[in-house]
Amino acid sequence: MKHPQIDTNEGADLSHHLSTEARDRVANPLKDILRVISESPVTDLISMANGDPHHSLYPFRQIMYEVPSVQDTSDPVTSWRNNSGLAQIIHSYKDEECALSIRDAFPYTRAAGLKQCRDVITNFTNLIFTPPNHHVTLTLGNSDGITKVFRLFGEKGDHFLTDEFSFPSMTNSPLAYGVKWVGIKMDSGGIIPEELEKVLIKWDEAKSGRRPHVLYIIPVGQNPTGSTLSVDRRKKIYAIAQTWDLIIIEDGKSTQRHPRTSSDTLPADPYYFLQYDIPQTNSTPADPDEFIKNFRSTLIPTFLSMDVDGRVLRIDTFSKVLAPGMRLGWITSNELFHLKLADYTDSSTQPPHAFGQMFVTEMLSEHGWKTEGFCRWLKSLCMDYQRRRDFLLDVFKREVESTGYASVNCPQAGMFVWIEVFFEKHPRFVRGWESESGGSPVVARTNTGQLLEELFERLMNTQGVVFIPSSTFAIPENPLWVESDGHVPLSDRTRFLRATFGGTEDIIEKGMIRLGKGLREFFQN
Amino acid sequence: MVFLPSTTPATLAADASLKRNRLDYSRHLSAEARVRLPNPIKSIWKVAQVKAGTINMGNGDPHHTLYPICEMNFVVPSIDEHDPVQSWRSSTGEQNVIASYKDDPCTLSLRTAFAYGAGAGLKEVRDALANLNDRIHSPPSHTVSLSLGNADALTKCFRLLGDPGDSFLCEEFTFSAMTNAALPLGIKWVPIRMDNDGLIPSDLERILSNWDEATQGRRPHVIYTIPCSQNPTGSTLSLERRQQIYQIAHEWDIIILEDDPYFFLQYDLGVNQSTIQQYGYTRAMADVLPRSFLSMDYDGRVMRLDSFSKIVAPGMRLGWVTSNSFFAEKLDMLTDSSSQHPHGMGQAFIAELLGSDGWGVDGFMKWVSSLCNEYQRRRDLFMDVFRQKVAISGFASAEAPQSGMFVWIKINLEHHARFSTSQTPTVTGGPTTNTTDLMDELFRKLLECGLVMMPASTFAIVDGTGTMDSHINDRVNFFRATFVGTDETIRDGLTIFGRTLEEFFI
Repeated sequence: MKHPQIDTNEGADLSHHLSTEARDRVANPLKDILRVISESPVTDLISMANGDPHHSLYPFRQIMYEVPSVQDTSDPVTSWRNNSGLAQIIHSYKDEECALSIRDAFPYTRAAGLKQCRDVITNFTNLIFTPPNHHVTLTLGNSDGITKVFRLFGEKGDHFLTDEFSFPSMTNSPLAYGVKWVGIKMDSGGIIPEELEKVLIKWDEAKSGRRPHVLYIIPVGQNPTGSTLSVDRRKKIYAIAQTWDLIIIEDGKSTQRHPRTSSDTLPADPYYFLQYDIPQTNSTPADPDEFIKNFRSTLIPTFLSMDVDGRVLRIDTFSKVLAPGMRLGWITSNELFHLKLADYTDSSTQPPHAFGQMFVTEMLSEHGWKTEGFCRWLKSLCMDYQRRRDFLLDVFKREVESTGYASVNCPQAGMFVWIEVFFEKHPRFVRGWESESGGSPVVARTNTGQLLEELFERLMNTQGVVFIPSSTFAIPENPLWVESDGHVPLSDRTRFLRATFGGTEDIIEKGMIRLGKGLREFFQN
Repeated sequence: MVFLPSTTPATLAADASLKRNRLDYSRHLSAEARVRLPNPIKSIWKVAQVKAGTINMGNGDPHHTLYPICEMNFVVPSIDEHDPVQSWRSSTGEQNVIASYKDDPCTLSLRTAFAYGAGAGLKEVRDALANLNDRIHSPPSHTVSLSLGNADALTKCFRLLGDPGDSFLCEEFTFSAMTNAALPLGIKWVPIRMDNDGLIPSDLERILSNWDEATQGRRPHVIYTIPCSQNPTGSTLSLERRQQIYQIAHEWDIIILEDDPYFFLQYDLGVNQSTIQQYGYTRAMADVLPRSFLSMDYDGRVMRLDSFSKIVAPGMRLGWVTSNSFFAEKLDMLTDSSSQHPHGMGQAFIAELLGSDGWGVDGFMKWVSSLCNEYQRRRDLFMDVFRQKVAISGFASAEAPQSGMFVWIKINLEHHARFSTSQTPTVTGGPTTNTTDLMDELFRKLLECGLVMMPASTFAIVDGTGTMDSHINDRVNFFRATFVGTDETIRDGLTIFGRTLEEFFI
């Protein structure tokens, strides 16, 4: 297996983590030719090699996007929603000057994305995450990024580690090619580092196969539980990853967090830029660099920022902070993984569409919002989501908590609350199935699962409101890696509903009223 | 434990059509595609959408009032010009603005385009493309799924159909960037012989009937072909060959991956002017464009891949796959658990362009027809210059392609003083001549003189099973050259080519 020559002065050699597929991938032979060509001393080389349509045949010469102006108000999101703010036009041209022209953006390109776009994103990543020594690969959003990273490392028979409640749209994908999941126990603060270590220590390669070498987590505004990992837990988890040689996939949907205190206000990952309860400084600095610095200081340090080994692949997206249909994101990783991801992109999706790359490049450029303006938008977006969260919590208190059948957490980031339902108060709740469990630590001892299913269906069919039941997110347990003493089976802890506060106040209010009513009816017959 | 709404309705529909056709599509699926689970969140969402008035608090979709784009405008050529491509290139024609809005009426609202969707793509775009398909190919019974262009679509089809150890069939010279993408999945390629008219049906038949599963593994069940302007050879399959190939596929139960990015770039078409006047461009073009495998696909064994890369721009990264509904559903599941649906920007643009406020399908076909004229002009220029500067020496020859962007130039190495035919192959099917060495020498010589063409060896498929005796390296005496560059590139490039060839041979 030939690997590109990588400068290994910094970081560890992590090539042994690559899957067979990633190792066996053959470089595009046309690229070999391009390399030979690039080494040619002839300066005015005529190329009759490729079938790129000439740019004069592209049927567009200008693209314009109407976007909010972010400079004229301290809260651009509210102004935009009220239609009270100014708008600004972002232009892309074919023949006139702009940050990334139609002429440059629309030909065939290589996997990592266009240089102009990678440069603005690298600049943004450096400003916000200050990673030690990393490279940016563009993706078509987090789903594309994550599933590509899974293919990069996952081999039939491998086990990957993740939160015991995780995002099945992602965790289901490598199941199809034989990667299994090991769920790590969580509490309200997210994944418990000691539990992670326990699983690794207890792992018996003779029985269970290769010890897990990949950890997939959503550290901010975790989906579905809404929890955010503290700095202390992050440090412990990184140290465990170093000891056990784990790759960390940090899924950082650009999240806002809810500000709270200075120590625990950190952004989530896909939800990283949606963090709440961030203490607001008295004045908004006029100096752009100051503004960015202040903004950064309100965000939680990422795994990427502490990644001296190069074992973190951080996955970011514009979906949550611009729009899901953008389908544009990026992976930040060490150089070897960056090159492998670029090869894989060449052999699958190809680089992201020109529209998104042009839009983001113009937006972050001098002609658009600039990085500072984008941070202003993010900050304002956090405030908007925080208001929605607070609104949901208020209505919840009034309409649901008052029933005594459920409670809710107050997430610091993301878009979800995790509603705990007190099934033990239900007249048909059954406990004490130990006899049926045969002593297995993972077999349910209560009928929680059945009641949750009933509740989900009742809410949907008679109340007309849909929440996602926690069973959808539960990673199946296996007695091979679960403690036998004192362990409460996950099935008995699967007593939650995930609710979003991303909707309108009307939806939130109606939804909570229906939930309260549905709970009363469910528990009282 | 997970109580998902079942996907039975869709599955039942697929099963019913299976029985009608007495075809077992699932036999063709890879192990991975068979066990892939539907996205559970999307399944719940689908059920929840069914009942009007249901409040969905399940998903984390940002509300559309938070999208920071309320309008997109694209300045495009007016399609009312007599020859829109010429007017556009010379900046003499009118221009139009195609607009998408978030809060105002349009064909595909940005509220929909920028939200999360499902793997197949948005209904507005799929419907428009299904309509285009119907008017061009009138396929028997097929479903349209969107892709991120043909590379994305094709590599997804490989994952859908290929298991480690499988052998797939392809043309002996083909677009190796794609065939290489299948190698790490454990798929081996079996090359089929070609002549000037493309792949030879009798050779396909020979390979299949001689196949010995005991020594060669599973008999190939997939063929990958580029029927129009085959890349790199530029050949276009005749209707007769297409029918023969489809018949062989029918007999041997082969899935046909019809990769057709150059379908719309056809030359010397003889479009009937009175048909245009009477029925419009779509009907007039459909009458003269080649018949696709899709159009004859009564078994549902064709997966046809179309793309906007060549007729709009490569950076569009948008295309569509037309297949039976069973494969379409499996493909959508793979899309949902990998790249996700295509970007909203491209979908919005296409929906408006093909919609009633844009060019419409017929206007789009007028653009395509005008584009064909422009590329045909470039091809003709290329062939004229080639005759004057290159063919005259007798050291190289080429046929004018009927479609696409490439000319396949044969180098008549047998006239070279150092050409040797007495080499002993070191492996079965290995070369008996020094063709590769001479071609490599010529490629480097051209590079030194300031010209790049693609050597045939880049596209040569060496038999992956080691049993074919194909001696392909004796037949790599070709270059692929494109005529899509400017007139100047064509003139200067071919002048260098002719001069360098003479130096090389003499």
